[in-house]
Amino acid sequence: MKSIQFIVNGKERTVVCPPAKTLLDVLREDLGLTASKECCGKGECGSCSVLINKEVVCSCLVLAGQAQNQVITTCEGVGLSPNLDVIQESFIAEGATQCGYCTPGIIVSAKAFLDEVDTIPSAEEIKTALGGNLCRCTGYTKIIKAVQTAASKKISEPETAR
Amino acid sequence: MLVSQIDMITPSSLSECLNQLSKAGRKHKLIAGGTDAAVRMKEGKWRPEIWINIKNLKELRYIEEREDFIHIGPLTTHTDMIQSQLLQRKADVLVEAAREVGATQMQNMGTIGGNIGTASPAGDTLPALYVLGAMLELTSLTNKRTLPIEEFFTGPGRTVLKENEMITKILIKPQKPNGLGIFQKLGPRKAQSISIVNVAISLTMDNDRKCAEGKIAFGSVAPTIIRARKCESMLTLGQLNEELIQNIAKIAWKEVMPISDGRATATYRRDMASALLERGLYRLIRRWENQ
Ligand SMILES: Cc1cc2nc3c(=O)[nH]c(=O)nc-3n(C[C@H](O)[C@H](O)[C@H](O)COP(=O)(O)OP(=O)(O)OC[C@H]3O[C@@H](n4cnc5c(N)ncnc54)[C@H](O)[C@@H]3O)c2cc1C
Ligand code: FES
Ligand code: FES
Repeated sequence: MKSIQFIVNGKERTVVCPPAKTLLDVLREDLGLTASKECCGKGECGSCSVLINKEVVCSCLVLAGQAQNQVITTCEGVGLSPNLDVIQESFIAEGATQCGYCTPGIIVSAKAFLDEVDTIPSAEEIKTALGGNLCRCTGYTKIIKAVQTAASKKISEPETAR
Repeated sequence: MLVSQIDMITPSSLSECLNQLSKAGRKHKLIAGGTDAAVRMKEGKWRPEIWINIKNLKELRYIEEREDFIHIGPLTTHTDMIQSQLLQRKADVLVEAAREVGATQMQNMGTIGGNIGTASPAGDTLPALYVLGAMLELTSLTNKRTLPIEEFFTGPGRTVLKENEMITKILIKPQKPNGLGIFQKLGPRKAQSISIVNVAISLTMDNDRKCAEGKIAFGSVAPTIIRARKCESMLTLGQLNEELIQNIAKIAWKEVMPISDGRATATYRRDMASALLERGLYRLIRRWENQ
């Protein structure tokens, strides 16, 4: 067992766990943050996506000991009702979620992507950015639309105005 | 060994890391981005007693041009390479290969050192490194040696790396202003897929569609990456026109030595190796002429 400190969604946290436990399991079991989902457990589906220092990664492949002193953001940290992020609002507005299993991971990936762009991305650019996130329900059309809607809202009403 | 019993050490410097690697009588293994290591740990294939976590060893994460070489630290991520203007200008083939690794998440986590360390015959950056004449610096507590990448791999997942050594630097030769490269990959789908066949091509162009020198390396068609020397020798025979390109592609079909496995049959791999090379050469010529 090791004591591991990191910042999760803006708060300093300490967990005591085996260092080779996955970050995903730590988030879900030790911290009760269950938005991030396990599906494939091997990096292929993206349902466990979280941000480490603003970069999107698969938390099912990050070992707890490697997360020491890192800044982690999960979907809960992107936004929780009633304070939803514009991406989450757009997913609701566009009906971009069905069973919802993939949604937190996609929101996190979309967050990392949109933080880096200041124009409305093309469908092709979104497909590349979200290529690591699988959805078995929606067929992606509405997801892509929702990301574009979020981008246009972000551009027309910058953060400070919201 | 259960996953819950595996310990982890996080050295704060390279010298501390080399010190840890030199400790005998225990089973330890380096972990960088973990995209291969964590998967294999879960599968039960890699269960060391101790992970030596080098993920945040900042001193091994850089891309710099010094003297006649571009120096790349092994902890450089695929994303770092994709975003590097130096590599975009002087090693475009490596940037293209990094772009084909997995998808965003894998590019953010996965490192070039890890791609080499895993030694998969399908590793996407490897053919690019072959055509860029890469040299690997291997360091242990007491020794340092540099060898050409061709001499590093001995088979799938097997290398000449010793227990107490690690890759500490990758050196590549920058392309000349009249040099250009391309990486072509065939996978079962666009993102996140292991190569069925891949090929890296690097050409130094002369006037008049003529090629002064060229290198071609295939992945996934032999136990390690292979250079297609016969094809390479044909590149300089004359103008790289349709006829010559098609002839080179025919020779590629014979020169590769693939096996059949769960991902594809040997014949399909030969057909695709030939097609990828042909397509790659056409695209390169078009790029050269549009420059
Ligand atoms: C979903 C998914 C998709 C993938 N898609 C692709 C793909 O398209 N193309 C591709 O090529 N790969 C792919 N991979 C494999 C993997 O992402 C890459 O090989 C990556 O570059 C590995 O880097 P890493 O830092 O994660 O390595 P790790 O998993 O940390 O380590 C891999 C191996 O290298 C060793 N190692 C690491 N650093 C060093 C060093 N400095 N010196 C010596 N040994 C070292 C480790 O001990 C270990 O044996 C994929 C993996 C996943 C999970
Ligand atoms: S659960 Fe992590 S990528 Fe599928
Ligand atoms: S909404 Fe069901 S998997 Fe995406």
